[in-house]
Amino acid sequence: MISKLIATIKKETLLLLRDKVGLSILFLMPMILIFVMTLIQDAAFKTINEKGIPIIFVNNDHDSLGIMIEQGLRNNDLCSFNDSIDGKPATAEQAHKAVAEGRFLVGIVIPKGATDAIRRNVTQLVEETMDTSDSTVVQAGSAADSVEITLMIDPVAKKSFLNSVTSNLHEFISEVKTKIMFQTFSEQIAAVIPGKTETPKSAYQKSQIIRYKEIYASRSEEKIVPNAVQHNVPAWTIFAMFFIAIPLSSSIMKEKNEGSVFRLHTMPTPYLLLINGKIVVYVIVCMIQFLLMLSVGLYFLPMLGLPKLVLGSSYMGIFILTMATAFAATGYGVMVGTLAGTEHQAAILGSLSILLLSALGGIWVPSYVMPEVMRNISTWSPLNWSLSGFYKLFLRGGGMADILADALKLVAFFIATMAIASITNRIKRTY
Amino acid sequence: MINPGYKNYQPLNSSATMAQSTIIEIINLAKTFKHAAEPAVNGINLSIYRNEIFGLLGPNGAGKTTTISILCGLFPPSGGKVLIDSQDLQQHLPSIKKIVGIVPQDIALYPTLTARENLEFYGHMYGLTGKLLKDRIEEWLKKLGLTESANRQVTTYSGGMKRRVNLIAGILHKPKILFLDEPTVGVDVQSRNVIIEHLKKINEEGTTIIYTSHHMEEAEHFCHRVSIIDHGKILTRGTPAELIENTPGADNLEKVFLHLTKRKLRD
Repeated sequence: MISKLIATIKKETLLLLRDKVGLSILFLMPMILIFVMTLIQDAAFKTINEKGIPIIFVNNDHDSLGIMIEQGLRNNDLCSFNDSIDGKPATAEQAHKAVAEGRFLVGIVIPKGATDAIRRNVTQLVEETMDTSDSTVVQAGSAADSVEITLMIDPVAKKSFLNSVTSNLHEFISEVKTKIMFQTFSEQIAAVIPGKTETPKSAYQKSQIIRYKEIYASRSEEKIVPNAVQHNVPAWTIFAMFFIAIPLSSSIMKEKNEGSVFRLHTMPTPYLLLINGKIVVYVIVCMIQFLLMLSVGLYFLPMLGLPKLVLGSSYMGIFILTMATAFAATGYGVMVGTLAGTEHQAAILGSLSILLLSALGGIWVPSYVMPEVMRNISTWSPLNWSLSGFYKLFLRGGGMADILADALKLVAFFIATMAIASITNRIKRTY
Repeated sequence: MINPGYKNYQPLNSSATMAQSTIIEIINLAKTFKHAAEPAVNGINLSIYRNEIFGLLGPNGAGKTTTISILCGLFPPSGGKVLIDSQDLQQHLPSIKKIVGIVPQDIALYPTLTARENLEFYGHMYGLTGKLLKDRIEEWLKKLGLTESANRQVTTYSGGMKRRVNLIAGILHKPKILFLDEPTVGVDVQSRNVIIEHLKKINEEGTTIIYTSHHMEEAEHFCHRVSIIDHGKILTRGTPAELIENTPGADNLEKVFLHLTKRKLRD
């Protein structure tokens, strides 16, 4: 029986090696996908994280508010700061035109006298607060001056980008306002306290006692940042592994069409052994695919200036999860090859169903951005089980115990697909 | 002109030699496929003797391939019983498969494998290994004139060469019973000559051959006995000479065939 299995493995290997189109589907296509998708998504990441959103800033205030906002924007990674157009300080009109032309995503105009207006408002507020008289009536004409900061927005700019910028802007303004208020209060208090002639210069800084510390909730001691590489490499590798369903089902259909199955069914060899030979070869192919894709993430993507793939610490977990994924993928291929009536049917059924399962499984778009209904459906895709397992290993520093449930689900999927294939084959043979 | 090998072949005299043991006993064999209007095989009874060449002849859709498929264990019958080498086919399928060889009508080979790789694979599937397998492959490649082209992919072969490899794949394990489903269809005279010659030798060495063909002249000269089947039923059986003699106005097997199956075109 072993010699028969070895002969089947040899036959399958030779058939695969001589199928140039099949090999390109198995190895070349996923590598290209990883390169292209990672570069595209990384470019999007860079727009936000590295290069920043291009902003044109017009400071007509030239006082505290304008200066602080300018400093804040200059130091903010989110923005790519500009205050001149064609080498000259920008005006509000020029900024409007430039944003309309798409040269900048956002334009900000701080009006003349903005700081003074804030200062007046605060002073008035402080005075009213410090007023020792019993009068609570605000005099007519004492309404606060309004300060209008103009935000010009390119209509094509993503809402999420803009939210980030405006949120930052509100923070700067709020800070300036608070500072001025703090300073004015300090001055007023100093004025009413006998002998106190100076206000503490660092009073505002001293009041800033709340700090924020951002940490990624990973078990790994290494700081692993989610990025295009960490998502795309495992995602497209899983996709490629499942894509073997197409050459595998095609190989099964070819055997049927070319009459080999007819001959093989008449031989003293169980058909399951012949299928096992295919499974062994295609599982090995999946493992090779995985190693190649990992090497792309580890060595080739960094050469293009992309982040290096971080594998986490559980190599055994990676091996087990990859094996389980490989078995699930080959089982799926065997099932498609058995269910389909023709090679054409197998190709269409295989490719469309894998595209659907991958879309549902969060390969194209991470499942956490999907609507709740789709997120629930997503958990039924075997590609999602595998991707979820790799996230646990690569991003959360998980180990064997963390991916065991995902791996078992994939193995159960393999058993189910093989059972369906076996029953279908029996029904088709007995008519 | 090259004379096909079967022209010089002398069929056995049925009454003189057919008193030997039966190797295949078919009793009331029936097969009805799902959604089919009528049965493909409808109560066939047949005895095939050890070491004979038996022709199963009939028009398209007569039930020949279905009968052979059942005898090979490809699928079970809907009714009836088959004894092969005194064993019930359905109960002893794995052991019966070891003594049976089949040469299907379609070229059941892997086109992108070489002839040698194809034969090594099929030989292994019949349980042959090592030197024995290698020697058998070389022996048959040589006999059928394929040694020089054995390392070429089958896809580059001519129709006749493919037929010869297809034949070798079914006989490598020296089966007791060999099913031939139109083994010479679409080949040139030279290839047909070689194939028929070697089939006769195989038969002389003790292999029982069950053969289907639309080539009546070939069947007339090649088979010891024939059976004409139509609509899933046996219409007649006997040696070609007996059938010709018993059919009014017939001087060859083709006329017997047309007399029994009529001239209506079949799908």
